Amino acid sequence: MIDLLRDTVLLTRRGLMEAVRQPAFEVQNIFIPLFFFAVTVGAIGNISGEAFGVVDYAGFQMPVAILQGAAGAASVSAIAMTTDIERGYFDKLLLTPSPRLSLVLARLCADAVRAMVITVIILVAGLIFSAEIESGPAGFVFIVLMSGLFALSYAGFGLAIALRTGSAQAAQAGFLIFFPLLFLSPAFAPKEIFDPWLEFLATINPVTYVLEGMRSLVLVGWDWDAIAYALLAIAGMGVVTISLALMGLRHRTA
Amino acid sequence: MAAIFAEQLKREFPPDIKAVDGIDLDIPANQIFGFLGANGSGKTTTVRMLTTLLRPTAGRAQVDGLDVEKDATALRGRIGVALQEAGLDDIQTGRELLRLQARLYRVPSKHVEDRVTHLLEVVDLTEAADRAVKGYSGGMKRRLDLAAALVHDPKIVFLDEPTTGLDPISRDSIWRYVAQLNKEEGVTFFLTTQYLEEADRLAHTVAIMDRGKIVAQGSPEELKASIGADVVTVRVSPEDGVKERAAEAVKGVNGLEDVRTVGDAIVVYVRDGKSAVAPIVLALDEKSIPVEEVTLSRPTLDDVFLQKTGHKMEGEVGS
Repeated sequence: MIDLLRDTVLLTRRGLMEAVRQPAFEVQNIFIPLFFFAVTVGAIGNISGEAFGVVDYAGFQMPVAILQGAAGAASVSAIAMTTDIERGYFDKLLLTPSPRLSLVLARLCADAVRAMVITVIILVAGLIFSAEIESGPAGFVFIVLMSGLFALSYAGFGLAIALRTGSAQAAQAGFLIFFPLLFLSPAFAPKEIFDPWLEFLATINPVTYVLEGMRSLVLVGWDWDAIAYALLAIAGMGVVTISLALMGLRHRTA
Repeated sequence: MAAIFAEQLKREFPPDIKAVDGIDLDIPANQIFGFLGANGSGKTTTVRMLTTLLRPTAGRAQVDGLDVEKDATALRGRIGVALQEAGLDDIQTGRELLRLQARLYRVPSKHVEDRVTHLLEVVDLTEAADRAVKGYSGGMKRRLDLAAALVHDPKIVFLDEPTTGLDPISRDSIWRYVAQLNKEEGVTFFLTTQYLEEADRLAHTVAIMDRGKIVAQGSPEELKASIGADVVTVRVSPEDGVKERAAEAVKGVNGLEDVRTVGDAIVVYVRDGKSAVAPIVLALDEKSIPVEEVTLSRPTLDDVFLQKTGHKMEGEVGS
């Protein structure tokens, strides 16, 4: 267990070093959500109160930007993993006495840390953009942690693809799947105004609950039901995606 | 106890590829074991099984007394491995990469810096140590990879074609270092190679692998002696069918042990080479086959390889 923790920390540090030395992905993962945030709030913010009863549309949209940034961060490790596989460095790591689980956990943790940094930047930008966080400074911290957990659970999916296929293109598909999930959630308007089919899809979509949990912290305060559903959705996603990633690791070393 | 032991070790890949088809190994400690074979002969698959990267389909293997399947984690801590492609992380510097390897191999913290500095000196990378690996040449990457394999001071090291693609100077420096480690520190090396010269110069024992099987094994001298003959190589016209006719023509020569065709030549194994050259040339002349060049030599590992596998190391297929 000590070896697992120690090696996870060592390899997480290496994963974060990649972000510092090759920051292109991080810039993209900050810029794109902020761009969509500014454009969406600019376009819909003035009519959102009349149209569907949301007065603070910047606050309504901030969790969307955060999840976009976190999902982007959660795709970085999958691509980095395929690079390691292609270069043969992954084999070098497999040859060490390190617990193999740490190779996967470290990638997930690096993504979580990256997502949290991106979330802080987006939250600060949102506050400058006139959004407010009803749950206060503690809510700010909680949103950052929640975003890290979301990235950790979502990253397992891309890692599973990376380990199965060793293909960077396939691993990137893990990120692209996030967009349908986002559009099938109440990202732009409350789901109560959706057509019934879309409302049904939003109801079975885990991203909906993560989004609503974060949104409650921004717009309402400490709504424990919403927060609990969000954490359950993250945990459920995590169990599925991390299991897939571990199966992928097993497949690669069989 | 053997340093490396295998019994009927097999690995198959779907649909029906027998990459390694039941090999036996019994390599004592302190040896340099040369594993010779052409591309696709099963060398790398064998290394991947012995180093726990790949599970055998059948058979069993032990390294340093540990089973490659049951004791895989403990075994990984005891061996050093440099695979065919120098598997390095381009983003780290050479020093950072060795430092991380040392920590993952449980080198005590207080010894990590000394060990890394020493290895960087040994592989002549001290000046480049704090540059990103991305900027290293092929030779530098190979040397760093070798240092990474040795960071925890293993007593058994697997090197999969460590000098393929290197310039002669880099190759020579790796050969010298391997020989030195073996002699001074008793490190056992399992060295796969396509270079016969490499095996001849370094290895105490050589095994020749062909199509997943070991077809010959022994010291380089034993293998050369096993041919039991001199080698007369006769270059003939490269036209179709000429070398086959030539091989047929010399079959009546006194003392002939074997004859093979390779490229645009026939290779004749005879008991007394000096006396056999003239009869060989006469036999060819009688069949009106013009001779372009004749050479007489003692057998080399190249000849052993050709005789045991039926083809040259470069993959040139003979009869």
